[in-house]
Amino acid sequence: MSRTIPTGPRPDVAPPGPDERPTGRILRLGRHVALPVHTRSLVTSALLLAVLLVAAAATLSLGRLGIPLTRLPAALFGEGETTHLFVLERLRGPRLAVAAGTGVALGLAGALFQSVTRNPLGSPDVIGLGAGAGAGAAVAALMLPGVVPVPLGALAGATLAIVVVALVTGTGLRHPGRLIVAGIGVAAMAQAFTHFVVSVMARDQAGVLSAYINGSLGARSWEHAATIWLVVLLAVPFVLALAGPITVNEMGDELAEALGTRATTTRTGAVVLSVVLSAAAVSVAGPIAFISLTAPQIARRLSAAQGPNLVLSGLVGALLLVCADLAVQQSPIGERLPVGIFTLALGGVYLGYLLIREWRKGSL
Amino acid sequence: MSVEDVRGTTAPVLAAEGLTLGYGGDPIVRDLDLEIDEGGFTVIVGPNGCGKSTLLKALGRVNRPVRGRVLLHGTDVRSQRPKAVARRLALLPQNPLAPEGITVRALAARGRFPHHTLLRQWSPEDEEAIARALELTGLSDLAETHVGSLSGGQRQRAWVAMVLAQDSPLLLLDEPTTFLDIAHQYDLLELFAELHREGRTVVAVLHDLAQAARFATRLVMMRGGAVVADGPPEEVVTADRVRAVFGLDCDVIPDPRTGTPLVVPHERAVARKAAERPGVETARSS
Repeated sequence: MSRTIPTGPRPDVAPPGPDERPTGRILRLGRHVALPVHTRSLVTSALLLAVLLVAAAATLSLGRLGIPLTRLPAALFGEGETTHLFVLERLRGPRLAVAAGTGVALGLAGALFQSVTRNPLGSPDVIGLGAGAGAGAAVAALMLPGVVPVPLGALAGATLAIVVVALVTGTGLRHPGRLIVAGIGVAAMAQAFTHFVVSVMARDQAGVLSAYINGSLGARSWEHAATIWLVVLLAVPFVLALAGPITVNEMGDELAEALGTRATTTRTGAVVLSVVLSAAAVSVAGPIAFISLTAPQIARRLSAAQGPNLVLSGLVGALLLVCADLAVQQSPIGERLPVGIFTLALGGVYLGYLLIREWRKGSL
Repeated sequence: MSVEDVRGTTAPVLAAEGLTLGYGGDPIVRDLDLEIDEGGFTVIVGPNGCGKSTLLKALGRVNRPVRGRVLLHGTDVRSQRPKAVARRLALLPQNPLAPEGITVRALAARGRFPHHTLLRQWSPEDEEAIARALELTGLSDLAETHVGSLSGGQRQRAWVAMVLAQDSPLLLLDEPTTFLDIAHQYDLLELFAELHREGRTVVAVLHDLAQAARFATRLVMMRGGAVVADGPPEEVVTADRVRAVFGLDCDVIPDPRTGTPLVVPHERAVARKAAERPGVETARSS
């Protein structure tokens, strides 16, 4: 095809980075399956999984109660010393499973939400979703024990929080600046309410308050692990189905519709999924901060791929939380330090950096 | 002013029937009928706020009509699957958002979305369509460059490459030359004219009457949500009509290069009209 159009003057253009070629391999199965695979994402995922396994082994084997690495395989197959089995089956095993599952849920929720709000700060933990779920969980567990299941309370709290945020902004979830300001307000109210509930119902237990405000992985059971992993597994098909439309939605509603998606349906689906995942995470571990915020952004930097990087965000979330919990368990004050306080301290620094960066870019 | 239909008749690929459009409140477009013929380069012009962009979005299935319907090959676009519509009709909106850090090729590749399914997200046709789109827009050499580091003209070309990769016979463009300098405006319009010559049906909303008249095979002039004139540029663009529709006193002379109508405003006409209708000149959206 011949071209006669002048291209016009070309100003200096930065050369492309060597790692950012969008080329990859094509996964083909028969005639009907052909999926492009982003090579760097695949390699990164494999590496993250390996690191996750190392962190998991460390979680089970370090410290006073740790199962020595040489005995770990035997213990995993249900053989070995009673104390080892007790640590694996009652103490650290379920805790590790909850940490990983919660990390995946938080990472996915963050990736979905940040993608549909088109803003790195539009994250469930920044805009009050986690705090709302925490308040709901506190009410269900402390005020209505046995009446309302904790996950349901968390879901109700998270839903209420997101509805209030969407109403308060006046523009739904479109304007990032308003979203964040409204979210901070809603988060503060939700935390105040949680404080109130805990101080009325469990006034002598600092650990309980901390668990509902900051999140904790102390004393988790296999039931908690089953809850979070069930929700994560149920969410996976929806996440995969939404991945394409969400990616297109990042270019604006009009273009997304013109490319054959239903932009509002996509956004609603992603928000609902994000609320469910966040609520599930909060119901088993409390409102652990900043995993949702940081995991998708770390995933993006690692993969250098566009779009929401959903799978990788889940993996990074799991790794972050497992590592944070490992650090907490091995810290001098040990079990008494809730993991949520640890992630809050580290994530707060990152949030500050992000706020300044977005402010300078003028996107707030 | 009544609609003056001076077109010949062929089967329309795209048609608006009794279209009323709005976003709640007063309708922006009222009871509008329009037929787009295959192979034409139709340009919609009109003053700010006349509803031309709103109409274009409705034609592209992006706006839901309050009343009436849009027919693509005789079938209501709302009753067709969104992806099926998107394979036959591409729309470039006014302010698309480029994802952070995306390359020109990756942006063009996004145009292939309507051709994909959940399990089939790649085909050899994708590669061909993307390569062709980059070649047509002159961006082959910049394929791996970040969109954010391009000049304004190149960036707009990258978006055009995206809608070209969509590989639809029908192309709707909403003010594609806004914010570009004059050389890049003509550069892009020449590209659309070439696409039209190669067989695509093009419908564009443009602001500049001279550009519209030079490139369009058919001009649709709107005011207040209705079509007030429709036909070949030389018949639509007259001094009387420009005065009636835009409120601008002017002469219309033949373009010395192409012979198409060229609007030459009278002195002080713009300033006087602006004083009579405060706010009109500063309103940007249409």
